[in-house]
Amino acid sequence: MQTVDMQRLKAGEVNLGTSIMAVQFTDGVVIGADSRTTTGSYIANRVTDKLTHVHDRIYCCRSGSAADTQAVADIVHYQLQMITQQSGTPSVATAANIFQKLCYENKDQLSAGIIVAGWDKETGPSVYNIPLGGGLFRQPWAIGGSGSTYVYGYCDATYKDGWGRDETVEFVKNTLSLAMSRDGSSGGVIRMCVITEEGVQRLFVPGNELPKFWEGEEVLQGKPVKREVPVAPMEIEI
Amino acid sequence: MDPSLRLVPSGPSKVASIQDTANSFGLHDTLTYGPRSLAAEVKKSSSVKDRLENWEATQDNLKLNLQRNAYGLHAPVRMLMERQIVGHNPHMPAFRTSNIHLDILMGRDETLECADFMMPASELSQPLDIHAEMERKLRM
Repeated sequence: MQTVDMQRLKAGEVNLGTSIMAVQFTDGVVIGADSRTTTGSYIANRVTDKLTHVHDRIYCCRSGSAADTQAVADIVHYQLQMITQQSGTPSVATAANIFQKLCYENKDQLSAGIIVAGWDKETGPSVYNIPLGGGLFRQPWAIGGSGSTYVYGYCDATYKDGWGRDETVEFVKNTLSLAMSRDGSSGGVIRMCVITEEGVQRLFVPGNELPKFWEGEEVLQGKPVKREVPVAPMEIEI
Repeated sequence: MDPSLRLVPSGPSKVASIQDTANSFGLHDTLTYGPRSLAAEVKKSSSVKDRLENWEATQDNLKLNLQRNAYGLHAPVRMLMERQIVGHNPHMPAFRTSNIHLDILMGRDETLECADFMMPASELSQPLDIHAEMERKLRM
């Protein structure tokens, strides 16, 4: 039987080894990602934007092979434009199902882990996780990419239902920061999008303003490390 | 139209067949192609060659399927019907027919390929070809 080797990238591929996440809150969703793209140990792009627009209120977070995820996201973007012409604004579920169809039918040739998140009129905010293999899972929060394995514990312990916008942004920022500090394939800056009925707001946290956690000060022979005052993420225009 | 959302051509299929050299009986045509040879029959195809050869057809098929999903089966059926109508050639085996209408429908009216400007003006046409062409046409 021909087994599909989904663990490794194909020869010469650029890797979106990554930390991505999406969390639903009362009025919308917050999605976030790191910004590192690697080819082996070389960081091909240290300011990547992994949060891809597929429709006005529907975004996707991409992890896995950069080429594969870009190709799939382009096709979904194209298809959603056609559907909008025909039957109006599509729901997040529709977009997620298109992603799932493509990922499943091409599973032998793709390495793409995608999180689809957005807001629509019928269901409000929703997050869909599409891991390798092409399964579809709706969840209140989802993490993905190589860095996600290090933060499952933190997320399980911290997530609470019924949060507002600011608490959710804080949660995403802290989780990604922890993942980026432990995973070699994740790093750079944190990019986030807050998607609500009113619109999409992009947030940016530069590398020197990432929240810091235990850094082993006691090991540095009593040298006190000055803790920086936490700064709110920068709001940027699209 | 293959009802799958294949993004790129799938890998080569490992098959041995005599389709290429078959005559009207379905057997290997010795008079035309010489004795049977296993090396010729086993299709050892290069994965890169297959990918490039099937690229346009796969992308076209993907677009037709996306249209089917968005608008209904009638959309790709109409497109294929138009192509068939326009591609119909009532003339007897003509060499190097140019079909602008078909090119426009396929979206390649403003592109140039090597075959468009590298083909020599004088072509060698084997007499046997015309018979085979006629047979194929009449059996349509």
